[in-house]
Amino acid sequence: MTIIAAPKVSPLLARALMGFGALGALASTFLAWTWTSAFPGDLAVTGYPGGNQLITLVVSILTLVALASAYGVRGLRWLAPAGHVRLLRGLALANAVSTWYVLIAIVAELGGLANFVTGSWVAGLTVLAPVAGAFALPDDRREPAPPAPLPRWAQTLVIFAAVLLAMFVADYGITSGYSEEFLGFALAIGFAAWGVNAGGVLGRLTELTARNRPATAAAAFAAALLFVFLQTTDAYNNVADNILIFATVALGLNIVVGLAGLLDLGYVAFLGVGAYSAALVSGTAASRFANTVLPFWAQVLIGVAVAVIAGVIIGAPTLRLRGDYLAIVTLGFGEIFRIAVNNLNGVSGPNLTNGPEGVYGVPDLSLFGYDFEKPHVILGVTFGRFANYYVLLLVVMAAVVFVFSRINESRIGRAWVAIREDETAASAMGISAFRFKLLAFALGAGLAGLAGTIQAHLTSTVTPDQYIFASTAPPNSSFLLAAVVLGGMGTISGPLLGAALLYLVPYKLAFFQDKQLLLFGLALILMMRFRPEGMVPNSRRQLEFHEQQTAVAAAHALAEAELQEQEAGAAA
Amino acid sequence: MTTTVFLQLVTNGLVLGAMYGLIAVGYTMVYGIIQLINFAHGEIFMLGGFGALLVYAWLPPVQHLPLLAALPIMLLGGVLLSVLVAVGAERIAYRPLRGAPRLAPLITAIGLSIFLQQAVSLWLPMPGGGKVHLGTKAPMQFPSFGGGAFHLGGVLLQRADLLTLVLGAVCMAGLAFFVAKTRTGRAMQATAQDPDTARLMGINTDRVIVIAFAIGAALAAVAAMTQGLRYGQISFDMGFVAGLKAFTAAVLGGIGNVYGAMVGGLVLGVAEQLSTGILAQYHATAQYGAAWQDVWAFVLLIIVLLVRPQGLLGERVADRA
Repeated sequence: MTIIAAPKVSPLLARALMGFGALGALASTFLAWTWTSAFPGDLAVTGYPGGNQLITLVVSILTLVALASAYGVRGLRWLAPAGHVRLLRGLALANAVSTWYVLIAIVAELGGLANFVTGSWVAGLTVLAPVAGAFALPDDRREPAPPAPLPRWAQTLVIFAAVLLAMFVADYGITSGYSEEFLGFALAIGFAAWGVNAGGVLGRLTELTARNRPATAAAAFAAALLFVFLQTTDAYNNVADNILIFATVALGLNIVVGLAGLLDLGYVAFLGVGAYSAALVSGTAASRFANTVLPFWAQVLIGVAVAVIAGVIIGAPTLRLRGDYLAIVTLGFGEIFRIAVNNLNGVSGPNLTNGPEGVYGVPDLSLFGYDFEKPHVILGVTFGRFANYYVLLLVVMAAVVFVFSRINESRIGRAWVAIREDETAASAMGISAFRFKLLAFALGAGLAGLAGTIQAHLTSTVTPDQYIFASTAPPNSSFLLAAVVLGGMGTISGPLLGAALLYLVPYKLAFFQDKQLLLFGLALILMMRFRPEGMVPNSRRQLEFHEQQTAVAAAHALAEAELQEQEAGAAA
Repeated sequence: MTTTVFLQLVTNGLVLGAMYGLIAVGYTMVYGIIQLINFAHGEIFMLGGFGALLVYAWLPPVQHLPLLAALPIMLLGGVLLSVLVAVGAERIAYRPLRGAPRLAPLITAIGLSIFLQQAVSLWLPMPGGGKVHLGTKAPMQFPSFGGGAFHLGGVLLQRADLLTLVLGAVCMAGLAFFVAKTRTGRAMQATAQDPDTARLMGINTDRVIVIAFAIGAALAAVAAMTQGLRYGQISFDMGFVAGLKAFTAAVLGGIGNVYGAMVGGLVLGVAEQLSTGILAQYHATAQYGAAWQDVWAFVLLIIVLLVRPQGLLGERVADRA
């Protein structure tokens, strides 16, 4: 089924168009794109590319490489096992959209076409040629051939390379200095990712990582650790810390929502319970237990224990019931938590949480004599306060990922799937639905509590408005749900990607700030309508959500087979 | 506690409960037919209030009418807006997801709720835009009755409170008549019991679902207008807590049961008022009064789910797999 009727252009011409276009675009990045340095990133320099030109440069090179692969150059054919044309289309679109965005931004921000110089025209026109070429080529979508067997060490090497590449891309996004750079980057990545995915190389990579779990985990951890070593200032480590907290909590929520299928709308309250518990016994003067100074491990134990108890208190009455009562009760619990911590101030309730002012002045952590507040020099790199927390958060995240993946593959994980699919059938098979649901709920609450204990120290202030259903600063319950749903329910990488996007996009794009909740609401609706399995689909979930389509397809196949059988019978 | 104080609390509770009940009908009807907790219903309620306010603000002649005469016109605007949005949401967002896993429409509903709330806070078109600054989280003025309260043997009853009780009673009577006596109402009951068989009997279930959404939205708009009249202001986020309370009322009365919604609303309203009122009476518990009102309502919800999950008027229904 073709959506766009491609005009009859010989493939030779189309490819040539692509090649010359990409070469031209590449060359244009060495020219100036405007004549003043007023545009951020200084695009007025002839001779070497800067700012957004780097994005165009890299995507042009990638287009050329993909084109070489399409020509059948040996050693590059692995780039598109499922067909080259869609990969080329994705890359060409990425280049065109990102470059045109910059050109339009130049006109809009600097005032008029007068700011264009030769380079701008060259760039603007040459990036269009590959698009025309790629869409003139007929689609060559195909079932990927089984991959050539690779030795173990080569597989590991490929995984490390891929993860490192992903980390560099993420680092570029996080450290991009101005909104034009970030948006140009995001546009390019979006289209390129679509192309690379359609080309089939991502699918192959997923297969590879699925077969080499320990190597993937090690590579991801190493790459994430490397991030700190790449930072020249501590500022972006703070951003990364916030993303890590957000992502860890989203992963915890994913156990509850994605694995067990329980919609928890007050999840952030458990983070709050953990944070308040830790802050109150951390020895800050603002706590009413200021004289109680417990070591960090004890704070963690208390935070997790209180969160689990809260989870059981909320879960025990509601999880016995069928249906969606849990969603509304957890929403109510989130509201109870907010009201309670606001009023436990000694005036409208006993003094516990210091009311709206919150518990402030939570001291920095000090573990094994390592003071998190002070910068330390490790391997020639200065680890500032946020870098220290980054490493700790990374360890916690790794622990959560470990729990998630192990439990997902255990009896418990399979019981959750069974309950999610059909509680009646699962109970008939001897699974105690209530017990497993409560386990999921309590586990999720405990993980959020754990993250909360660290968050209390990182932000050093714990206030009620950090833990509400919807606000403009993540994490809150609606952001967490959006991260899980957009990323992909039941997966590990989905919520990580979702959390990173949901944090970075409003953080980098100022104009987005007051509309972010609106757009997230819209994104939830559209996602459920068009891609309910999320950006990173879990294969089982995908089948679940597209049950009808799959069933229809299967019925068609069956009918066809029967028809053929009858015809064969008639012929005989 | 004197009898007067007690009666006053009960009266306040009934007024509050009438409003909860009107909103709860929307939850319970939709849940009864398609087993969906329509999280966006709180926002439909909020839109009803803003629809009424928009009519009032944009039509100067309405402002010059006596309030009692202006109310039907405002109500028309409120009902129109909330019904349009509710029916549109059903058509665009919920209907394509029928037959999808349960989580999908639930998440859609939450997305819709966030979207509608933000859309009102960002883009509500008020006359003389500068005066009412858009995008601010401030509540907006709603016209309210002048004149003092009625004294009924020591119990005070504000004019808006009386109107709430009257409107609540009228709407519920009308709804009861509609559900029990009209063809469409019986079609609705049949669809709630068994949608597949209802369809086989020639009932247009899609139409029934749309009507359920529309009736719920219309009653929510009535409730929103009474809320505006009683407090003299409405705000873009008032649907969140009101929706939660109304859902609690629906569960309390037995979700799926239209009469239960009203009973649940009244019981919840009275319980809320009595609990805070009684706590405020005694020195030891005084501080757990008004500020904790919402907490007691949700605690009540959890207790009901624990003790009588089918609700006051609900009957135990077998799980529909």
